[in-house]
Formats: sequence, structure tokens, C-alpha cells
Amino acid sequence: MASNSAALLSVDGISVSYGHVQALRRVSLEVRPGEIVVLIGANGAGKTSLLESVLGINALREGNVTFAGAVVSGSSADRNVRAGLCLVPEGRGVFASMTVLDNLLLGAHHNMRNAQKNLNRVYEWFPVLAQRKDQVARTLSGGERQMLAIGRALMSAPKLIMVDEPSIGLAPLVVNDIFAILTRLNREGYAILLAEQNAYKALKCAHRGYVLETGSVTLAGSSAELLADPGVREAYLGA
Amino acid sequence: MQVFIAQIINGLSTGSIYVLLVTGFNLLLLVAMIIHFSYPQVVVFSMYITWIVIKVTGGSILLGILAGIASSVAVNLVSAPLFQKVMQKRGAVDINSTMVLSMGLGMIITDVLSHSFNNGLPISFPGGLGGSASLLRVGLISLTTGQALSLGIGIIVVSLFFLLLYRTRSGRAFRAIAEDPNGARLVGIPLVRTGLASYALSGVFGGVIAVLFAMMLGYASPGLGEQVAHKVLAVSIIAGLGNLAGGLVVGLALGILEAIVQGYISGSWSNAIAFVIMLVVILVRPKGLFGTRL
Repeated sequence: MASNSAALLSVDGISVSYGHVQALRRVSLEVRPGEIVVLIGANGAGKTSLLESVLGINALREGNVTFAGAVVSGSSADRNVRAGLCLVPEGRGVFASMTVLDNLLLGAHHNMRNAQKNLNRVYEWFPVLAQRKDQVARTLSGGERQMLAIGRALMSAPKLIMVDEPSIGLAPLVVNDIFAILTRLNREGYAILLAEQNAYKALKCAHRGYVLETGSVTLAGSSAELLADPGVREAYLGA
Repeated sequence: MQVFIAQIINGLSTGSIYVLLVTGFNLLLLVAMIIHFSYPQVVVFSMYITWIVIKVTGGSILLGILAGIASSVAVNLVSAPLFQKVMQKRGAVDINSTMVLSMGLGMIITDVLSHSFNNGLPISFPGGLGGSASLLRVGLISLTTGQALSLGIGIIVVSLFFLLLYRTRSGRAFRAIAEDPNGARLVGIPLVRTGLASYALSGVFGGVIAVLFAMMLGYASPGLGEQVAHKVLAVSIIAGLGNLAGGLVVGLALGILEAIVQGYISGSWSNAIAFVIMLVVILVRPKGLFGTRL
């Protein structure tokens, strides 16, 4: 359950532009320790831009990002990964020509000392990855790739896992599995920031949510509030 | 038959040098994401440094070799920020700007060498650093120390390189960047720092190649780098740009092809014939024999 302690991640009025296109306008949000926070929005609303900006991929035009008590905006993605942030990219982002084991070890790039310990934990979470550890990732199914991408994120011993559209392109049953995994991870103590178009399922497993429209946060609230909101119901839940 | 065996030995030892060159070139292409057309000029620069140091130290080959390796690592690391500056964006090979910068660096190196040493005339390594000593001679077939070392060290260096690539943390990062630079950045692989490691490693390769070249040829000239650069680029393209395994095959094949032409037709035709054959291959398979890996 969400605690009331200080925010683990706080995004403070950030704006990001690609050339003349403004992707994010003064977006603010926060994730507290132990929370699952969902970011709802249509294609192109800026969900991926937001997650990548938090990770340190995009230069911010204004605003800043604080993570675990330190300002992280302006530092590089690899430094932020070392600080405990990580991103499971949209479309899984696994390295297709590399083995499952190599993909997992890539996640441990900054944490090789605990690699074996973390590897064993990931294999406990996802036994299928242990069976396929020497297979190249291109031979995995969509769901297995998503597990691999999540497993790779766990290898970096993160404090916050950002997951970008995990349900995209997966069969409904597999989507349920993935959400169940995220919920279990959260129960183990991982904070999760989830970007999803599949608003209903995402809100069902999250504590709170933000609605992102053309680069701005237009609505924020608890999952129950958002599920009951007429605007959200109409735009994202098809009700 | 004796000519054939002799030329195969020649070809394998020259091919081994091409393999090392194309591997260093491909490494920079895959990880630093540059087309370093003038990589062989850096190698020739190192040959000159080796030559000077041997001269100055009164014949210390060991110091010469170490200086050669150190100098090509240094040249690569010094040019790295320049390449990074001209690249439009990280995350993709910027062929135009990096190729032009590389050619510029190559011309500077060539000019500096020709103005600074021996009035631009070739310099010679007495006894090819001991590489021209004969290890074996049976009729027309002979094997020099330089040839044996070139092949032996080539095999060792390439094996170590593949071991590094597939068994170490840095190698894994190299492969991740080679496959998907943006994806690598998303999982926290530092692109710039890992790129620098590839400049350093290809510099080490360059130094080793310089020494082997000096042993095999016994001389160096300011224009040597450019002659070789065309071949290295051609080998990389024929194999498939950035295809490391393909580079091994085609590098050795070019060495053998040249040697066979030299043995049976004429040395002066070897370049032309090799390039005609490569031209035909590229017409038939535009992505190279083994496919582009970028």
C-alpha cells in the first residue's frame, strides 16, 4: 500500500521539445515508495517522452527531476541507472541477437558484483528465462521478451522501475500475466511508474494515476477516482 | 605446387594483417559509430614512431614496439573528441561527416610524415625488426619470422578479441551498442565512454599491426596508409559493413588472392585484379557477402 512518506520520484514542471515540437509542457508528478503509478494517455500524448526524460535521455527545457532525494535531471542515463532508476522500453527493447543471459547481464552493467545473486532472483521470478538462458532473444515469444525486459531491469537492482506500454502487442491472457507480475514486484517493494494505453487494466493494478494529453497532465487522482471519472471513462475506458 | 604453397603462406600472412585492420575498422564502425577510413594511416604513423624510438634508443625493439602501440592508442584517443564533435547525433553512424574528418586526419598524418622524416622517402626497418629471418626453406617455399609472427599473432589477437566480445562486460556493451545504440542507452550503457574504449582497443590493434607490418614489409612510407586504406574499406564493404566474422574471411581471402596473382601473373596487377573481383562481388551482392551488421 502507498505510504505517505516523501516522494521517491518527483517530476517538477518539466518541459521537453524536439525541435519545434513541444513534447511535454510543465509536467509534474510524483511516485512515492511502494506505489504503482500509472500514466494514461493516447498515442503521442508524451508518455514515452516523459519516461525517457526522467531516465535522462532528453534535455529538459525547464523544470527538474528529483529521485531518492537528489536532483537527477541533467545527469546521463547511465548515471541515473546506477542511482536506481530504470526503464523497460516500449516494444520490450531486448537485444534480439544476444542470448537471454547476455541480455540479463546487460542490465547488471553497473552492478556486476551482485550479478549472480540478482540472476538467481530473476530466474526464480521467471523460470522460463532460466530454461532459455542460452537461446538468442529473437527466438522468444512476445510475452517472454517482456519478461526478459523486466528481468533485465531487475538486474540493475532498481528502486523505481518505469515500464513503457508493457501490454502493447501482447495477447490478453499474456497481458494479465504481465500485470500480475508487476503487482507482485510492487508487493516485494519495488515502486513502479507505468505508462499504458490499456487504461482499465493498468488502473486496476495501480494506486494512483495521471492522465497525459498532448504533453500536459490534465487529471490526477487515485485509481478509484480515475476509474469513476466520466471523462476518463469516455476517453480511455470506452464506457 | 611449390609456388602455390609459397604464395598461400604469403597470402595468409598478409591476409592476417588485413584481418586485423578490418577488425579494428569494424570495431570503430560498430561501437564508436564512425567510418574511420584513415585508420591505416594511424597504423603507418605508429610504424614511424616505432622506427624513431628504435633509432633513438640505439636499437631497442621492445621500446619501439611499446611506443608504436602507445602512439596509435594516443592518436585514436585524441581524435575521438573530434569525431564526437562532428557527429550529428549519437545513436547512428554519421557516415558523411566522420568519413570526411577521417580522410582529413589521414591527409594530415601523411603530410606530416612526408615532411618530417627522411625527405618523404620510405624509411627502412633494418632486417624488418628481425622479421625477415628465415625460419624454414624448402625449395621455393620459405617462411620468415615476420610471416609466422603475423599469422600467429593475428590468430591470437583475433581470438582474444572475440573472447573479450563474448565473455566480458565491456564486450557485451560493445555488442549491445552495435545492435541498437538507442536501446543500449536506455538500459544504462554509457555510449560515449564505451565508445572511447573502442577507440583505445582499436589503437592497441593498430600498434600491433604496425609492428607486424614493419616485420613483413621491412619499410614504411607516407603513402602506405592510403594504399592500404582503400583495401580495408573494400574488405569491410565486401564482407558486409561491420560484419566482424565476414571481415575475417574476406581479409584472409584478399591476402591469398593478391599472393596468387603475384605468384602466377604479376605483382603489379594484384591490386587491379583484386579490385575487379571485389567490384563484381559488390555488384552481385550489394550488402556484402555476409550482410551488413549496423
